[in-house]
Amino acid sequence: MATQSLVGLIALFGSLALLILTIVQNASNTDAWSGGAMALIYFGLALGIVAVGLTSSGVVKWLERPRKKDQSDWLMRSLVGLIPALLLGLVVLLGVEGLVRGFAVPLAQIPPPSAVLQKLLEARSVLLRDTSITLLETAVGFLIGGSLGVVMAILTQRYIFLERGLMPYSTLFSSVPIVALAPVMIKIMGVDWQSKAVVVAITVFFPMLVNTARGLAEVSPLQVDLMRSYAANPQRTFLDLRIPNALPYIFTGCKTAAVLGLISAIVAEFFGANGGGLGFRIVVEIGTVSLDTVWAAIVIASLLGITVYNVLALLERKFSGWHPSFRAED
Amino acid sequence: MNRSLIPMLTVAVIALAIAFPLMVFLNAQAASRLLERGAELPCKSPLECAFNLRSPVIPAPNQLLEDFPRAYLNPSSPTSVPYNAFYTGLATLLGLALASIIGLGLAVILTVSRPFERAVLPWLVASQTVPIIAIAPMLAVVLGSNGVQGLLPKVLISAYIAFFPIAIGVAKGLKSPDPLQIDLMRTYNASSVQTFANLRFPTSVPFLFTAFKVAMTAALIGAIVAESSTITDAGLGRMLSENSRASDARNLWQVMLGSAALGIVLVSLVGVVERLVTPWQRNRS
Repeated sequence: MATQSLVGLIALFGSLALLILTIVQNASNTDAWSGGAMALIYFGLALGIVAVGLTSSGVVKWLERPRKKDQSDWLMRSLVGLIPALLLGLVVLLGVEGLVRGFAVPLAQIPPPSAVLQKLLEARSVLLRDTSITLLETAVGFLIGGSLGVVMAILTQRYIFLERGLMPYSTLFSSVPIVALAPVMIKIMGVDWQSKAVVVAITVFFPMLVNTARGLAEVSPLQVDLMRSYAANPQRTFLDLRIPNALPYIFTGCKTAAVLGLISAIVAEFFGANGGGLGFRIVVEIGTVSLDTVWAAIVIASLLGITVYNVLALLERKFSGWHPSFRAED
Repeated sequence: MNRSLIPMLTVAVIALAIAFPLMVFLNAQAASRLLERGAELPCKSPLECAFNLRSPVIPAPNQLLEDFPRAYLNPSSPTSVPYNAFYTGLATLLGLALASIIGLGLAVILTVSRPFERAVLPWLVASQTVPIIAIAPMLAVVLGSNGVQGLLPKVLISAYIAFFPIAIGVAKGLKSPDPLQIDLMRTYNASSVQTFANLRFPTSVPFLFTAFKVAMTAALIGAIVAESSTITDAGLGRMLSENSRASDARNLWQVMLGSAALGIVLVSLVGVVERLVTPWQRNRS
């Protein structure tokens, strides 16, 4: 129902934009207008046809039909749920394209999405290298900081003294802006990727520590009693009860920390990098006002973030899919 | 708090015990390189030099203390940390205010209109997994080239960065009432405006403050990045990028400590307001 009304709305807006632009174009027949306005008119027309077609042919209704709710179907269902959002994204992109071309906005202000796409393809080898550097920094930092966080969480579980001494710092650290740390680390470690990996490790450490510690601590007393009645020794209780219980929390920590890590890698690259990295690319290309490359780097950074997050979410489903939080959701 | 004071101090001492030899080692290395090259230094052995290099890798504790009065105790000077922190803090707070107005508005529309929610919410969710800060330097330059200068571009950028966590937090909060409570409002024949004012909004307040805390740090980072990517007259970001270019570790450390302090102050400010606004939450935690 919702999708259908939305599609109808899009069709309405598409035809409205079409009408307005035809009028405006006839009114002011200057050079700057011609190409862009025509483009928008065609886009609007095509979009309107697609939207009306999808609604009237019942495709939308079919996609949204009630389904049998089983585990295997979740991917398909979540993709179908994204249709309205994707349509909105498409409309916004086409709108920006048409407006930027229509008003002949200079490339140094807002490049049209098509120029960004073209740049993505043209400069793919450079951008791919930048991506691999940023990914390397994030991955190494994430592995070091994350595993340290998990180990420390296990130790805080064992030694209450350490918990009292370490946990208050996590709140403090979460409010510190990581940008300020980047130049200092670059001064210490140099401009190569290692300095950025350390910044990532520091940002990742506390979220992982806090989430893991919470997961290890939040076991029900009944379950602990049950383990005791089995005469299980502390190691056994730890391995068979606390660790599995902490798994969903660890994954939540991983997802938050990975995104934070990627952000801090990019921000740290703003302050100095040795010829590569997405953040470095963004700053350098802003200097030469080639904003299409900047946008291309931003698009890649966004795709990287979404991919990393969703890969972790998939792993979570695979390794802790038994957890009640998944059952409640389905 | 009291029982964790001694453990916290112990952890701090351990951290310093690791950092101190590292500082001595790195600085001594740099010093011995300088001595080999025959640079004029007021000290003889690398170990001695480690504590008073003009451009240390990590400033020695005595240097940090030495720089502190100059960097902090003269707040009216444009090169002092408090002076610049004030500008950054102002941009952050104004940005957060702007972001919360827009974020609240959007969240209200999200809970009212289902088609709107289905089209917009996935993008808001995706924004949480995307490094949106990557747009900040470009936005600063483009705004600057269009004549938006001074405090305004920093406010706009920190508002933009803070907007996403606030919108998603409030939307989550407005949806948090128990279905039973909503049914109860219906049995009272409450209008949707009344339900909003008396049920949805009060239940969303705790979510709002959690979101504010996240958004505050994000806004601060946005303001600093915005300041460091354009030519500005004041701000911690400007100090960071200037000293980073000059590779001046002594000043960088003062600015880093100042930024950390500003972040902690701003976030605890949210905590203070939260305690004042939601006294009923105090007993829970």
